Amino acid sequence: MKTALTVVLGLLLSTAPAWAVLGEYESSVSSDQQYLHGEVRAMVREGYSLHQITAANRTVVKEYISPAGLVFGISWQGPTMPNLQQLLGSHFAQFQQASQSQTRRRGPLVLRTDKLVVESGGHMRFFHGRAYVPSLFPPNVPVEVVQ
Amino acid sequence: MNAGRISAARFALALGLLAGVLGLASCGGGSSSSGGTSTPVNNTQAVQVNLGPANNLANGLFTDVTVCVPGTTNCQTISNIQVDTGSEGLRILSSQISLSLPQITDSSSNALQECVSFADGSYVWGPVVAADIQLAGEKAASNPIQIISVTPPPFPVPADCASGGGPSQNSVAALGANGILGIGVWQQDCGFACTSSSSQLPPVYYLCPSSFCQIASVPLNTQLQNPVWTFSRDNNGVLITLPTVPADGAPSASGSLIFGIGTQTDNALGSAQVYTTDLNGNFQTTFSNNVAYTSYIDSGSNGIFFLDPTTLGIPNCTDNPSFYCPASTATYTATNKGANGTTGAVSFSIANADALFNANGGTNAAFNDLGGENSGAFDWGMPFFFGRSVFVGIENMTGPNSVVGPYWAY
Repeated sequence: MKTALTVVLGLLLSTAPAWAVLGEYESSVSSDQQYLHGEVRAMVREGYSLHQITAANRTVVKEYISPAGLVFGISWQGPTMPNLQQLLGSHFAQFQQASQSQTRRRGPLVLRTDKLVVESGGHMRFFHGRAYVPSLFPPNVPVEVVQ
Repeated sequence: MNAGRISAARFALALGLLAGVLGLASCGGGSSSSGGTSTPVNNTQAVQVNLGPANNLANGLFTDVTVCVPGTTNCQTISNIQVDTGSEGLRILSSQISLSLPQITDSSSNALQECVSFADGSYVWGPVVAADIQLAGEKAASNPIQIISVTPPPFPVPADCASGGGPSQNSVAALGANGILGIGVWQQDCGFACTSSSSQLPPVYYLCPSSFCQIASVPLNTQLQNPVWTFSRDNNGVLITLPTVPADGAPSASGSLIFGIGTQTDNALGSAQVYTTDLNGNFQTTFSNNVAYTSYIDSGSNGIFFLDPTTLGIPNCTDNPSFYCPASTATYTATNKGANGTTGAVSFSIANADALFNANGGTNAAFNDLGGENSGAFDWGMPFFFGRSVFVGIENMTGPNSVVGPYWAY
């Protein structure tokens, strides 16, 4: 583990921000106060920082934040699908379009463009996925960190 | 959303309706009543892989399901129900059912509705009703099932239900089937995530007091059930057997869905290896790149979905870019590992999907070598089932050699 510093905030965020939105500033999190109330762990990694939110229903959302404060990636795992409209923000329309056009394939959805990558898969009681914006990655941080 | 939550306590009446049967099954949980002198019933249901009722679903696995008004002989058999080991519960399109089945309500007569979001962003929405389900000679009495609303639904789709962004699977063309029979490793579709009384409730079950719906806490026995574990026998899991198919596919492939594991002469584990799962229903698959992936077996996935084009060195298709299109068929080996430590290698092939879909004038439906990208997990879809006997062990139910579900065996 490359954890240089782990700060366990350990807050039950009943009124505090839940998570940020892909492609927006970390400070944008106040847009989402009600959706996922959970325990937040903030971790500083090499070249980026990570907020991991764990809800009581075992849903885990991770936000990957660049030194400039932008959310360059998000991942999720939990017993039900998270609200992707909330997580993806302005990128939701692209995901929606990909989902609407996935007709022949039955299985996990993969959207891969130069500007946006979204993967969403799983089965009942286990949903997982990640989304990231390649252009927002900090230098020398590989896409594999978002998972 | 700011909708208030409705507590589980109000379900007293619905529980009364269902307790007789679900309570009975619960008492028998873990003992599959294979011993004794009870006469074996027919536990074999025919299944077939074909293009389905909309003629558009590659590797769809279908069967017929008979549903009845609870406790009566007023029944209807519905064909082309997709068999799905990746979900739990029976869901039928409202356009395909003419029976009037009793709506499940809370004690204030509010109708129970369900929204199920799938991983690809699509969803189904509609009321939860009670039905007796007959499969072969087995019966699941008074099970909650979902009627998928064909437009317009009795209650508008809540905004947080459609938040996955994808299409509503509310037609035969969209669903590719007349319904879904979920017979995966869980007993209920949502489980404890939907029984909470806190604000953590996911947008799955709803009660609709008037023209709008509120997210509701629903006890386990009022949720949709995997009907198999509510049978009075042959209830600890299922076995799916399908023949091998040629490399360029076949128009159809016929096999069996057999109820129970080790409960009759036709469902013995035999030489099958047992892979127990983790708390999420997953095991582990290690590919030749020595990376271990979370993995699962899903008959509702129509390909083997794994890794990515760059890592594998094969391109996505031109005409069907969500599938792989190697220039020549690629052969791979991966090693599965259960939570119990069982390991075993699986060899499989990935063919050019554009060519597969065009073979035989485009009439082939059953493919054992269809695949596509999915770098987050290893999804063993329908191609895995051909030429195999695959057992699905249901959670909390005891199988041969005292193994307790959830597990897979093959």
